[in-house]
Amino acid sequence: MKKSTLLIAFVLLVTSVVQAQVKKGDVLIKNATVITITNGTLENTDVLIRDGKIDKIGKSIKTPRGVEEVDATGKFVMPGILDAHSHIAGTSINEGTSQVTAEVTMEDVVNPMDVSIYRALAGGVTSIHLMHGSANVIGGQNETLKLRYGSTNPDDLRFEGAPRTIKFALGENPTRGGRARGIQPQSRMGVEAMLRNSFSEALVYKKKWDAYRKDKSSKKVAPEYNLRMETLVDILEGEILVHCHSYRADEIYMLLKVFSDFGIEKLTFQHANEAYKVAPELAEFGAGASVFADWWAYKLEVYYSTAYNAAILTKNGVNTSINSDSGELIRHLFHEAAKTQKYGQLSDNEALALITINPAKQLGIDHRVGSIEEGKDGDIAIFEGHPLSTYAIPVMTFVDGVKYFDRDNDVKDQRIYIDPESTIETVQIFDAHSQHRCMEDAEVVNFYDLFNNK
Amino acid sequence: MKKLRKTFFPLLLILPMLFLSANVNAQSDPTAESPATRTYAIQNATIVQAPGNVIEGGTIVIENGLISAVGKNVNIPAYAEIIDGTDLFVYPGFIDGMAYTGAKRPEQPERPRNLFTPDPPNEYAGITPEKHVVDQIVIDDASISSMRKLGFTVSHTVPYGRMLPGSGALLLLTEKEHADLMLLQEDVSLYTQFAGAPGAYPGNTLGIMAKFRNLYRNAELSKQHSEMYASGPAGMERPTRDRTLEAFYPVVAKQKPIFYNANTALEARRAIRLKNELGFNLVIGNLQQGWDLVDAIKNSGTQVFMSLELPEEPKEAKEEDQTEEVKQLEERRMEFYKRYLTQYAEMKKAGVKFGFSTIDASAGKIKKNLKTLLDYGMTEDDLLAALTIDAAELLGINTITGSLEKGKLGNAVITKGAYFADDSQVKYVFVDGDKFDFEVKEKKANGENAAPANAEAIVGTWSYTVMSPEGEQGGKMIIRMEDGFLAGTLTSNDGSPDNDMQNISFRDGELNFEFSIDAGGQSVLVLVSGPVTGNEFDGEATVEQFNVSFPLRATKDEAK
Repeated sequence: MKKSTLLIAFVLLVTSVVQAQVKKGDVLIKNATVITITNGTLENTDVLIRDGKIDKIGKSIKTPRGVEEVDATGKFVMPGILDAHSHIAGTSINEGTSQVTAEVTMEDVVNPMDVSIYRALAGGVTSIHLMHGSANVIGGQNETLKLRYGSTNPDDLRFEGAPRTIKFALGENPTRGGRARGIQPQSRMGVEAMLRNSFSEALVYKKKWDAYRKDKSSKKVAPEYNLRMETLVDILEGEILVHCHSYRADEIYMLLKVFSDFGIEKLTFQHANEAYKVAPELAEFGAGASVFADWWAYKLEVYYSTAYNAAILTKNGVNTSINSDSGELIRHLFHEAAKTQKYGQLSDNEALALITINPAKQLGIDHRVGSIEEGKDGDIAIFEGHPLSTYAIPVMTFVDGVKYFDRDNDVKDQRIYIDPESTIETVQIFDAHSQHRCMEDAEVVNFYDLFNNK
Repeated sequence: MKKLRKTFFPLLLILPMLFLSANVNAQSDPTAESPATRTYAIQNATIVQAPGNVIEGGTIVIENGLISAVGKNVNIPAYAEIIDGTDLFVYPGFIDGMAYTGAKRPEQPERPRNLFTPDPPNEYAGITPEKHVVDQIVIDDASISSMRKLGFTVSHTVPYGRMLPGSGALLLLTEKEHADLMLLQEDVSLYTQFAGAPGAYPGNTLGIMAKFRNLYRNAELSKQHSEMYASGPAGMERPTRDRTLEAFYPVVAKQKPIFYNANTALEARRAIRLKNELGFNLVIGNLQQGWDLVDAIKNSGTQVFMSLELPEEPKEAKEEDQTEEVKQLEERRMEFYKRYLTQYAEMKKAGVKFGFSTIDASAGKIKKNLKTLLDYGMTEDDLLAALTIDAAELLGINTITGSLEKGKLGNAVITKGAYFADDSQVKYVFVDGDKFDFEVKEKKANGENAAPANAEAIVGTWSYTVMSPEGEQGGKMIIRMEDGFLAGTLTSNDGSPDNDMQNISFRDGELNFEFSIDAGGQSVLVLVSGPVTGNEFDGEATVEQFNVSFPLRATKDEAK
């Protein structure tokens, strides 16, 4: 008996050492207006988080011994905001040299030291979908992260158990790359052909390997291994959720047809400025849309757009989210969500769902985050003022019950690593670098960038 | 007579070879520079056999390439050249864990016409693991003599290139007629780095990580196939030759380590990630940010060569610019400057055994940097261990070098005053039993890097302007003399980070140097050359990767 207990203790010790040492916290948030998203808004309510999970939601919960108490009287508590489209916290964004790079993964380039993570936390964001860029038709795999800022180990930010996702891109971005390099695709027709060719190739690849695995001969020879094809096969088998950069209704509809032909079901359109034109079709397919609130006209294919997009999609039953795609917008996604109340009269709950439970569904993590429910992760944002109010101010942000942002205790210099040879530069509030990373590394290098060390 | 001939004939064949390895000038030496003997005895010296193991007033005999005796009471052969060791310190020859020493950067592969960027030729992608650094070795490259002058006797030299440039070799930093004769061991490592191909796959870290996995998995399959075929080919598909994959076979078999040039903590973690996934033996070279990696390094069984390039000490702003905020920012910058320096002692204390890599360190700075590490917690014994026995153990050559013991290679550095003392001076370096004497001017020392007498003329601060197609850009070009070598820095007026000037040479009124810039994770090398007339430099900057040039002009600032 004693022996086996020891053994169990030893096994526990070993596994806890091997796994990334993610911090889990305990906290009791008292007397708040709790916006649960899935179960209405509860007044004067306490939320108890134990060991990183929401343990109890109710009135007058007794403070367990050793648990920190946060008095949230007059404050609003909502689930941590999720950004379904982000390019912060990555050291590279595009492997733009090839038009199909399913084999590359953002998991390899997570930069936990990016100070943008802290800025996002200061906007109530607890998780992001770190996406590959849009330079290629089938880009790299994305990585869903929890914003556990302060660690220097990229593994500590990984959203454990989140499904794999991948970036696709249609329209001007991949065709621009194709034309610049003199390779396919150079038109929207080429994009579709490339998608169909890639999946057909993947089917052939799968067949080869299936045959090899079935072969009982001792003289059998393994086919060539191809990580790109392996990934495409995983998409065909539904193991990877597709998130596709798109703008125009025709290209959105095209992808629905391609995916129907190949039996791929898990699909979210990113940007999708014209998605409202094909909202019923998206709903029927079961595809999601992750859009901007009111951002368009930055290139030709994004001229035909409307701020009613999110509302129209929502009313048509499309699972819709609002994303940032930017190191700046990510700090006030609650404002972006609020715009759907001016343009489309969405209810409070519908508007907030756009930045919580809906993106959680699009990322396949809705059983863990996106609403305040017992058993879910302790990822919480506390606001002064209603989060949809113009006057809303995020005051605290928790991930797994650990406080990562506290407005009252906001240290100015949040950098984790500092280059000792750097100059002390004037602080820039607006950082152009965090704005547009979608096409980073995809363009031919120019000399201005060379000499500016960008 | 016949019998004599029979006895001597084989000797006659071998003899020239013996002479060749003993001394290049031995057969016929009109310069009369060849040594009369290859046996040396340093008498009455302080002999540091290994860190912490010192013989005062000892004697060491180096005979025919090997250490034949060390100790207090040692018989000195009559034919030995005797060196009076009073005031001299004898150390084991230093070992460089990862460097380009002796290798010459080859021409960048030309961008093929109509390059299919998703699948470029391996040569252009920089995926040439089948190559060997020996082919890049230039026997009289100035880097060999400048590293030797510092006390380095063995260099693990790796090839220049991109993602997978080829195999590294252990090079004796000596003078021979042919690179083969300088090789201690060939193909000891497979060298790799996060260097993408310009505008082709793999272009950056994303593609490089994926490509590495793909190559490795296919190498495993290909190795398996060729082994199965070798044991019973009948009825089996014939394996096709693929030299790229074959280069991985010894890595897959764990007979050869991967040497990853991983400078930052994130790069090192990526290399360790690949090791954990694929299972090869990993050595990280050139690490500059190791302070958060002790556990990751230990748990994964990774070996490390720390960089000997250290950050420059930050300079504080002028008093009038020191607002409270600037002060705080400067404090944090200083905290990190110290972290870069104290990590060496901390890692040592945490039980991470490491050697040094000089791949990013210019020869002129190395001694200064070693002394800086002394100020930040490393002891002289720690430094010596990293330079000698620990490096030898990590490279698997501790049975033949790394300490001054009988039977080991005649590799030693002899200084007047203790090596790490301020006014110490390297007097002799022995490599493979050959003596290099620094009391007189070193033979053949006028290599490319060594500064000619008039080099002082260009030392100073210059204001430069680059006229690139994107507009003008300016800054200061600061040229210094460091331990007899030219060194320099390019600053930028727009606040971009400084760039180190490398391979600076000034000869016949012509100034040449190069620097590299990081363009979105892609390293771009810029070569600059042009004439200096008075205080004017009329240079041309060339980026070979893109086959473009533009003017870089500079005017020397008046000395105040």
